[in-house]
Amino acid sequence: MHALRATRSWARFKRNIPLLAMFIPVVAFYLIFRYAPMFGYIIAFKQYTFANGVFGSPWVGLKWFELIVNDPFTLKIIWNTFFLSLLNIVVGFPFPILIALMLNEVRNMLFKKSVQTLVYLPHFFSWVIIGGIFITLFSQESGIVNKIITLFRDEPVPFLYQANTWISIYVGSGIWKEAGFSAIIYLAALTSIDPTLYEAASVDGAGKFRKIWHITLPGIRPTIFLLLILSMGNIMEVGFDHVYVLQNNVVYSSSEVLSTYIYKIGLLGAQFSRSTALGLFEALVGFILVVTANRVARRFNQSLW
Amino acid sequence: MKPTKGEQLFYFLNESILLLAALSCLFPLLHVIALAFSDFDAVMSGLVTLWPRGWSTEAFRLLLEGGRVPRALLNNVIITVVGLVLSLVFTTAAAYPLARKRFYARRFFTLAFVFTMLFNGGLIPTYLVVNSLDLLNSYWALWLPGLISTFNMLIIRTFFLSLPDELFDSAEIDGCGELRTLFHIVLPLSIPVFATIALFYGVGYWNNFVSVLIYINKTEMQNLTLLVQQMIQSQSILEGLNNAPDAGQTPMTPESIRAAGILVLVAPMLVVYPFLQKYFVKGVMIGSIKG
Repeated sequence: MHALRATRSWARFKRNIPLLAMFIPVVAFYLIFRYAPMFGYIIAFKQYTFANGVFGSPWVGLKWFELIVNDPFTLKIIWNTFFLSLLNIVVGFPFPILIALMLNEVRNMLFKKSVQTLVYLPHFFSWVIIGGIFITLFSQESGIVNKIITLFRDEPVPFLYQANTWISIYVGSGIWKEAGFSAIIYLAALTSIDPTLYEAASVDGAGKFRKIWHITLPGIRPTIFLLLILSMGNIMEVGFDHVYVLQNNVVYSSSEVLSTYIYKIGLLGAQFSRSTALGLFEALVGFILVVTANRVARRFNQSLW
Repeated sequence: MKPTKGEQLFYFLNESILLLAALSCLFPLLHVIALAFSDFDAVMSGLVTLWPRGWSTEAFRLLLEGGRVPRALLNNVIITVVGLVLSLVFTTAAAYPLARKRFYARRFFTLAFVFTMLFNGGLIPTYLVVNSLDLLNSYWALWLPGLISTFNMLIIRTFFLSLPDELFDSAEIDGCGELRTLFHIVLPLSIPVFATIALFYGVGYWNNFVSVLIYINKTEMQNLTLLVQQMIQSQSILEGLNNAPDAGQTPMTPESIRAAGILVLVAPMLVVYPFLQKYFVKGVMIGSIKG
């Protein structure tokens, strides 16, 4: 019996050799580039210098975290991060749903395909392109938007240099880039709605809007819930690229978020320990939010894992 | 069934709004194209809207001369092509064993990999790892830290798992080892899903400027995405390009040169986009099935 089991596991091992061979570099990748940096968070509790290295640097306890809590500007940045990403979700969330619902009602397939082709396109552009396009459109001296505005009033609007207009452009550019593409997932959900429901509703004399309200929307409700909860979980993640390409010094205090600040003080300012402490804070809050969001999603029988 | 008056109005409004949405994606692009191909006077007077005025390709000539932009464009191609191949190979190497029932500790490894999607080392610790491996100013700093996207890996794994067991059993009975099964049976069936993943990786590498900003200091190694980013942010680079001491040269506005830079960067995307459209829609659908 023992011998049989041994030969079996030997046979299993022999067949697994190629799989193991291809899997070893994969494990190495995850250890070196995913888990080792997590271990690197210990420098948030140290006074890290290049010369002393991660292990040789002296411990400083919670010094950096105290610094974060006591620095009004850092707190302002944390607030900015929350505010911008909440705004992104609240304002941006309905757009993909609307686009999906509207595309679903189009009868001419060629028209539908053409619209889809165009609205999906910005998703594939780099944030560099998005930033370039928006700065070209909205620049104070030469932007086409201000050229049109000055036809009606004397002063051009410094869109990129006022906090509130900058934030509008920030949120708007995010919607422009992703709303169309995000509609795909709702379109997929829409295909699973039973078409006989619509026929039955027509027989009962329901109009277009009643059908959308009572059949289409309930049909994609689970998807809407799931995506809303998950986006809540990502609230700490304000993408570096999106802010960085639009930012300028004039709106610095309302546009600076954690990821851009960590880059500036950490890499450009070489304050490794302080920026790592901020990074750890960001990652921990993000982790807690995602796990909580998934808990909530599970309550609706929709969960990621 | 003939649509009623009310329905006709609904369809008309619906399609009008969608048309507006589509045009809002198209017009900014047309405006950039128009700026890039217009001459100095037209751009200065602000007459350029959706089509070029005073046709001129001067902006592109300025952009391409001096060799910095062509070099950066070549770097984009190198980073994208090599990165794409490496990522596809190693994503498959991660996904295939995790999809084979005979492999060891599949659940443990899957969870360990998924965990890195929820909690990661962040910018500075990752930078310190890359630095300690002596990878700064090398393209390996762009390829290795992002070698496997766990999200893409899960999409491929889910696809592999959806293949029928009988397929693997019959391959085994016919004497195929795991590698032969992978290369001769599984991969040919997986071309659509690989096209999708290749698109995601390719777009990611092409559009990436953050890693280049962080890890590559040598200007001759930087890619066009970063160069265009710098052109947008600072006038001085534009002026540097503009002040080429070429006698009798017509001046160009910074707007035109910037627009030309955006176009050079976006053109490859526009060229491949129509061919890939059918794949990415499918890919998003596969990805939305939880695995």
